[in-house]
Formats: sequence, C-alpha cells, structure tokens
Amino acid sequence: MSILVDRETRVTVQGITGGQARFDTEWCIRYGTRIVSGVTPGKGGETVHGVPVYDTMRRALADHPVDASVLYVPAPMVKPAVLEAIDAGIRLLLVTAEYVPLHDVVHVVAAARAAGARLIGCNTNGVISAGKSKLGGVGGIDPDEIYAPGRIGICSRSGGMTAEIALALRQAGYGVSTSVAMGGDLVTGTTMAEYVALFEKDPDTDAVVVFGEPGTDNEQELAALLRAGGVRKPVVALISGAFQERYPAGMAFGHAAAAINSSDESASAKRRILREAGAHVAQSLEEIPQLLRRALNGN
Amino acid sequence: MLRLTEDIAKAWLRAKGLPVPRGAAADSAEAAARLAADMPGGAVIKALVPAGRRGKAGAVRVAADAKASRTAAAELLGSEVHGYAVQRVYVEERIAIRSEHYLSFMLNGPRPEVILSRSGGVNVEDALGSTENVVRAAVDPLRGLQSGDTMALWRKAGLPGAVVPAIGGLTAALYEAFCAADALLLEINPLAVDDRGGLALVGAMMGVDQNALFRHPAWAGGALTGTLPANPRERGVALANRALPGGECQYVELDGDIGLLVGGGGAGLYQHDLVLELGGRPANHCVTPPTGSDNRKLKAVLSAILDNPSLRGLLIGFNFAQMARTDIRVRTLVELLDEKGGRTARLPIVIRLFGAGEAESRAMVTGRANVHYVPRGTTLKEAAALIVRLVAEAKAEERAA
Repeated sequence: MSILVDRETRVTVQGITGGQARFDTEWCIRYGTRIVSGVTPGKGGETVHGVPVYDTMRRALADHPVDASVLYVPAPMVKPAVLEAIDAGIRLLLVTAEYVPLHDVVHVVAAARAAGARLIGCNTNGVISAGKSKLGGVGGIDPDEIYAPGRIGICSRSGGMTAEIALALRQAGYGVSTSVAMGGDLVTGTTMAEYVALFEKDPDTDAVVVFGEPGTDNEQELAALLRAGGVRKPVVALISGAFQERYPAGMAFGHAAAAINSSDESASAKRRILREAGAHVAQSLEEIPQLLRRALNGN
Repeated sequence: MLRLTEDIAKAWLRAKGLPVPRGAAADSAEAAARLAADMPGGAVIKALVPAGRRGKAGAVRVAADAKASRTAAAELLGSEVHGYAVQRVYVEERIAIRSEHYLSFMLNGPRPEVILSRSGGVNVEDALGSTENVVRAAVDPLRGLQSGDTMALWRKAGLPGAVVPAIGGLTAALYEAFCAADALLLEINPLAVDDRGGLALVGAMMGVDQNALFRHPAWAGGALTGTLPANPRERGVALANRALPGGECQYVELDGDIGLLVGGGGAGLYQHDLVLELGGRPANHCVTPPTGSDNRKLKAVLSAILDNPSLRGLLIGFNFAQMARTDIRVRTLVELLDEKGGRTARLPIVIRLFGAGEAESRAMVTGRANVHYVPRGTTLKEAAALIVRLVAEAKAEERAA
C-alpha cells in the first residue's frame, strides 16, 4: 500500500504532446507508471512513447479506463481541462501548471470537491510511491537515487524539498512510502491536513514528515487535526521562512503564497502551534531522521 | 496583486452597466478645470494613486466650480500620497449623498469573502472594527452570489427595507464584475444612495490577479506605470522580469553581506534561515526562474547580487537532482565574473548544485580559487555553514592586515 498512486493506478496525460509532458511521460513509464493514454485536442491518432493520443477525454476513456489524470496544460487552459476530466469521471487529478489565476483555482478546487475528486496541486512536480509508480516529474531521470522504498510519508509545500527530505531519510536508513508535493500556491486542491489523514490510514506508513512555509493556514489546520486526536502516527515538521519576520510585513519573498497575512501565518508561529499540538518540529533536514528515530523507537 | 487606479476600475464597472458617476482623469489643473466646467453640481477631485483610504490622507477635495477644481487639482498634482507621486487626478461629478454604505469582495483563500457595512465613508475603519451592522460571508465559488443572498446580507446589516432590493441587485452584479475582472479585491466605499434614492458607486478600488493578465491585456501595460523600486539593482531585476520571457524573477536587497542565488521555493527559504542561524547575514533574497536556454533573467538577478556594494560572499544553492541543468547556472556565473572582474575575483563563492551537466559545471570553475563547488552529497546546511565561515575568515584577515 501507499497513498494516492500504486502499481495498479492507470493514468492518462492531458497535454501529452508538449515538451515537458513527453519528457516526464517517458521517465514515468520507465519507473513503472501505467500510462495508458494521452489527450491533446487536434493530435488524436498520434502516439507519444507508444502511448496513444486522443482528441478528447471521453474518447480516451472509451478505449482505456483510467484512475488518474496528470495535466500538463498551460495555466490558461487548466480550468477547462480539469472540468473536462471531472465530467469524464476521473477522481484523481494532478495539475502541474504554475501561475494559474486564483479565480480559476478556487473554481476547480470547489468543483473537484463537489464531485468527490481529489486534486493534487496546482504547481506541483508530482507524487511518487517509491518503487511503485509516480505522477509528474518528481525524481527526474533517476528517482531511485533519492526515493528509497520505505515506510515514511512526505508531504511538502515545495517540490524541491521533497527530494532533500527523501535524501536525508535515505542517508539515515529510512525509505519513503509516498511523497507528495502539494504545491506552494495560496489555494491547493488538497490541504496538508488531508494528506496527513491519508497517511494515517495507510498501513504501510509509520510516520509522516511535512515541510511548510509562511502563509496560508495549512499548518494550523494540521495542528487542529493533531489536537483532535486525528493522527496517532508521529508527525515531524520542518517549517522554513522564519527570516521573513525580521522584515516588514507584506514584503515579497518568493512565492506569492509565502507572504504573511496574519501573525499565525509566520514560520515561527506555525512551529509553535505544531509543537503545542504534539508534532516533532525539526530545525534542519539533518534533524528529521533523529526526531523520527526518537518518536518511532522511543529513544 | 496589481492595484488599478480609480479611473481604470471605474471604466471597468461602467462598461458592465453599473452606476458609476461621470468622471475622467486629468494630468493638469487646466484639464481638471475643463472637465469640472461640465459638472453643474460641483466636482470631486481625487489623487489618482493605486491606494485606498485617500479621503483620510486629504487626497480627495470637493470643488464647487471649475475655478475651485483648478486650485484643488494644482494642489494635488505633484504631491505625494501613500508613497506615490501624484501625476494625475480624477475629476468626478459631485453626488448629493443621502446615505453612505460599504461593500467589498476579497479573494485570498479557497472561498471569496464579501464584507458589507451599513455605514461607509471616510471613517469606515471604525465601522468595520465593530460587529454592529457589519456582515461578513464566504461565497461558494460554484454558486456565486445571487440577489436573494445579497438582499438577505444587507437586511442583516440593518439597511432600511426600501433600498434593499436595489442595493441587493447591484451587489450581485458587482460580484459578477469582480469575478470577470479576475479581481482579488474590489472595494466600494462609499456605495452611496443619492437624494433621489438612486445608487452610485462613488469610491471604487480594485486589485487584480497578475496571473490573469492574459485575459486583460489592457491592464498589463498598467503595471508598467506603477512605481518601480528606488534601489537601482532591484529596479534592474524588476524591469528584466517585465521585459523578458520565462518564469518570474525577483530580487530584494537586505542589510547583510552574503548574497543568495536560490530558486523561488522552499529550499531558498530554508537556506536563508540557515545562514541567519549560523551567524551570517544575507545581502538579499531572490527568486530565479527554472533554467532554460534563455538565461537572461537568471543573469539579471545574479548581476544585481554581484553589483551590491555590501557583498562579501555568495551562496549558489539549489535542491538536489531536479531536472534543472546545472551548467546553465554555472556558465552564467562564469560569464558575469569575467565581465565584472575586479573584486569578484576574490569573492568567496560556494556552489551547491547537483544534477544534469554537473561534470561540465565543475570543469568550468576549476582553477578559480575563490569558487568552492562542494562535493556531491553535501547538505544545504553544510554549504550554508561553509559560506558563513569563508566570509567570516575573509573579514578577519582584512582586519588583521
């Protein structure tokens, strides 16, 4: 087991004929992902790395049933493409595009929730169930160098940091059940607390590592879940961006979502709130395996 | 968020058929007087800056006639309001106001929020600070806001029954205009009832989503007229960000001396925290776009970092084994070091960059004694510790000399 994707997950790729999609599709197939079809309007009948391309989602699904769709469509096309996938009955969607307009994001997130579909992203480099399957570019051409199979779940606001966390785990002898980059945007399809709740239910995950940033109430929501007793597995949290508190509020440092709108949204406040709720708060990547060892072995 | 000036916001609302008072922008006192001459009930002259709360700042003047309008415009033009130089004023017909109300829509989370208050106008902060006659509600993005909902909200805010149907309908129409503009903020203050019972959008402030400007090309140029940073290096990067293709780049100069060349995400935040915790002081924060064949934005950011006179060291730190090509970043560095020469030849530089093209990247900096390309497997923390130590040593040596 794992969360979100495993060996059996059948996948279609929306926008499969674009450069990034072709590249990622090749390396996903090599990793073991069951990519059964792709969709690009006007390109029906072509193939990409042996994967048949269709003009519409409905035609693709008529030939090959799928469980998930990975969307490489550019930001302006995300809304229609997600709605098409939801209408076609797909219940797991991963949106890679960055800079999607916020009105479109809140619409597709609400539409996915109303349909009972899970949306990962936007602005994610993917999800990987180590040794089984992956969606998106996560792990690049050699995921095995970073993501050793194991029993630790990772949920990160930053795609790049999932790799650093997985490496820190690997060097300490730990492996990963599933690692998900949830996306760093202001609004995401699935919240940090929801991912942690999925790991809590997964029999092959023993503990969860989360990476957070300033901005949004993802970490506060996770703390509320911990306080309510909704998670029995250890949660280790690394929250970056405390440096922002040295400068005037509203100053832009990096992603727009990583701006502090209220005092609860600062990195320091998030660390405190999570610690008070029972999470193990790490000061560095190196400290993550140490905290895991203590929490899992009681020493 | 891109804040639009009032003339642009009102033009948008007017085009949607909403009751905006007659008005136009003027860039001189004479032009303001000419516009006001056509307003028999008097005019209101407002400084055109992309900021709210102008009434409190004295940037809104009432003028009885064209002559008074000329005087008011002359006083406002060239003054400074909320940090912006006033280059234009907005001249609007004066409305005989019976009552002033407040309405705003905001999008900064999963559901848009509507705030309405029975009392609006200059002292709206006081009104919003109390819970009396102020109503806040979240909007279901799929359902939108219908006039039945908005009438109920205004009743809850204590508005007299007679005006509720009209203002409720207007509020629903404004919500549609808010969504159609890809606005993140639309504030109407005051939303006025005039002496004949008609409605008027007297004050309007709108901020829109920069990611949606492809749907609003007319406003994309508006961003160019916004104020640029005063710091020449920040200004250079801001201009490069606007002019060049590719993902976003940013550069913010800080009071330290260790330059940071990082990506836009978590690893950049993490390294900045680390440098501080290890006793160093970052000279900047930055966002660089993903590597591509066009390295001009990357070059603009790195050039700004190297031109900072306070710079004593540089950390180039990226997360492990993403698909980004390392050689593009290192080639950009080498090009700039050769171009700038001088003190950059002795500047301690730590590179923590693993991934595609790494062997070539390492070869490019071989023989440069000041460049430390750390071995594969070095953690972000170890690289941060190295630059902090090298800068401290260089400073100590200088003091000893």
